[in-house]
Amino acid sequence: MILRNIAIRHGRRALAAPLPTSQLRSLSTETTTLPQQTDLLPPTFSNQSTLENSAESGPKQLRITQRLGQAKPYHRAKKDPQIKRDFQLKKTIERTTGKLGALVEPHYEPSQLLVDPPTPQDVTLELLMASQSHLGHATSQWNPANSRYIYGVRQGVHIISLEETAAHLRRAAKVVEGVAYHGGLILFVGTRKGQSACVVRAAEMAGGCHLFERWLPGTITNGDQILRRCRMKAIDQHDKELQGYDDKIENWQALKPDLVVNLNPIENYLLLHECSLNNIPTIGVIDTDANPTWVTYPIPANDDSLRCMQVIAGVLGRAGEAGQKRRLAAAESGEVTWLPPPNLGAPVSEAEKIKRNELKKEAILKKRKADHEAIEQSKVTAAQRELGDFDDF
Amino acid sequence: MKIAWLPAGVVEGVRCACLPRKMPLRPLIGQQTFFPGRRQLSTTPVRSASASITAASPISFVGGDKKNSGDATYKDATDEIFYARLVPYSPSYFTAQPYFIDDVLEVEKLAQKYAALPVVKRADAPRIAWITLMEYRDIVGERVNASKYKKVLHVLQRLNQIHPTVMPWDVKKKLKQYTRNINPYKNVPKPGIVDEGGRAIGVGKRKSSTARAWLIEGNGEVMINGKTLSEAFGRIHDRESVIWGLKATDRLDKYNVWGLVEGGGTTGQAEALTLAVAKALIAHEPALKPALRRAGCVTRDPRKVERKKPGHVKARKMPAWVKR
Repeated sequence: MILRNIAIRHGRRALAAPLPTSQLRSLSTETTTLPQQTDLLPPTFSNQSTLENSAESGPKQLRITQRLGQAKPYHRAKKDPQIKRDFQLKKTIERTTGKLGALVEPHYEPSQLLVDPPTPQDVTLELLMASQSHLGHATSQWNPANSRYIYGVRQGVHIISLEETAAHLRRAAKVVEGVAYHGGLILFVGTRKGQSACVVRAAEMAGGCHLFERWLPGTITNGDQILRRCRMKAIDQHDKELQGYDDKIENWQALKPDLVVNLNPIENYLLLHECSLNNIPTIGVIDTDANPTWVTYPIPANDDSLRCMQVIAGVLGRAGEAGQKRRLAAAESGEVTWLPPPNLGAPVSEAEKIKRNELKKEAILKKRKADHEAIEQSKVTAAQRELGDFDDF
Repeated sequence: MKIAWLPAGVVEGVRCACLPRKMPLRPLIGQQTFFPGRRQLSTTPVRSASASITAASPISFVGGDKKNSGDATYKDATDEIFYARLVPYSPSYFTAQPYFIDDVLEVEKLAQKYAALPVVKRADAPRIAWITLMEYRDIVGERVNASKYKKVLHVLQRLNQIHPTVMPWDVKKKLKQYTRNINPYKNVPKPGIVDEGGRAIGVGKRKSSTARAWLIEGNGEVMINGKTLSEAFGRIHDRESVIWGLKATDRLDKYNVWGLVEGGGTTGQAEALTLAVAKALIAHEPALKPALRRAGCVTRDPRKVERKKPGHVKARKMPAWVKR
């Protein structure tokens, strides 16, 4: 479709304006005949009109073509080696002279709680206070069941007693460590925005599982359906993977966590309910508006502060890490701190599997043969009976 | 084939046939085979010979002090027990889409690790055709949310912007994993050629008309089917249409046009010639393409006569409504 009016209004101006580089790039500018530099007239006003309007002048001498002829060809993602050299130089300077200068006082670095989380021994009231774990909700939103954890009211906001927080956090850390020591499966859940990093880190340290998106209702109560495609593996007391359990795993029911750590119990009531149906203990961060009876081991703290969540998840993750370490050390010295699940048994080797299959095949063949014989026999007897009937006549 | 959308009963079989990755194939609960000993199915308790009352095994005093230390430890010496337990293959087990979540975490980890590397502008980064959501669903075998996959692609785009001279190999590997096998951006139209005689041909279509136009440097003569422009087209509007590409770029007196056009009516023929002339002009001067596009000479008008439908008088016209 020809847009005549638009071209009349804007065409000239658009042609007269210098083309932006982004357009020049898309043209690839490979004109088959490049303008001859000798043919070009200096771009004065008088020359301009002669160039554009005279019939004698070739099209390659026009202003627009000249400009395009001068444009540099574009290369995608120029491989300029200078960038690499500069970057390496920067790294060298940082490495050599980066630590020079005044001593930096201890200060809060946001990423530090993820890189090097505090251990249960590092939990102090100062740390908890600094991470704002004492701030509760407005007094009107409180759940009276939390009154035992509340220190007081300040400016209409409940203040959580940090002594209670520290005590409960240490107790929860003990629980996590114990479960990890006995080879339990720990699930860390934090489904609020921004909690994913600390949840994943804690699960990584404690050797457990993480969940930072919506809890799919029924993952525990209907796990056989929901987790049908999720793979599992068999490991020994040294956490080495074992072969020969494929058949068992195929028919094994979905795994259930042995401990669930939840950073936002208010949004995850269904998860906690499923846990209680399956007798799975839970640890939860209880703010002043949450119900502490939803979880087995509450930790009264401010669940709206990401920094507080990082501290709590970090401490619990560290506790899990210590438990795992202790378990592996015990396994090294010959003690196994857990019992295998009933009916799992020893692995089946390939040769044994083939042997079993052969036995099964043989049994089937034998049965088929027996059936066949029985049918033949019945036919024979039926025929005899018929003959007998004839004899009666 | 979009395996993930097939009916649930078919999915597993097809996927096992298609995928190189080993998939756990567990029967549905309804079809689950009986697994003796796993669950007590009969309600009446069965007392087997082994379950009858037996004396406790003699107490071993070998590791006695350890057993009394409070920790419930089980000695390795009880050698009937084979120590094995089942654990999730991936820490994302309880998300129900472990492959996808692991992928997301891996990509995010890379982005975080190489956040400080120098980058190029987004437009300067090499253009990559990412695998589509459907292809990705087939690869991971999970129902991946479109918006979540978009977020992954966003992070990958950021990784792709790392300057090519400092691009780490693991990022390259990851990007390759998400790149389509076929690169559609390599598929560019061939540029027109100007032959030895200085002629360039362009082909254009509009409605039912087809036009070929040869463009040669000259002084503005136009011949259509052996006739001059005014003989070929009676309407001034049509005459203007034929040479619109040249007029919009101030090239009227710089080229001669020799055109052949057939089929359709006058408007169709004229506008088919517009396209043909514009294409031939681009062959001479590729730099004029944006100007010609703005003038509306580059795009093929796809509109055609709409077909007549049954029950209609014409394409859309309905018969008049009659009372009974």
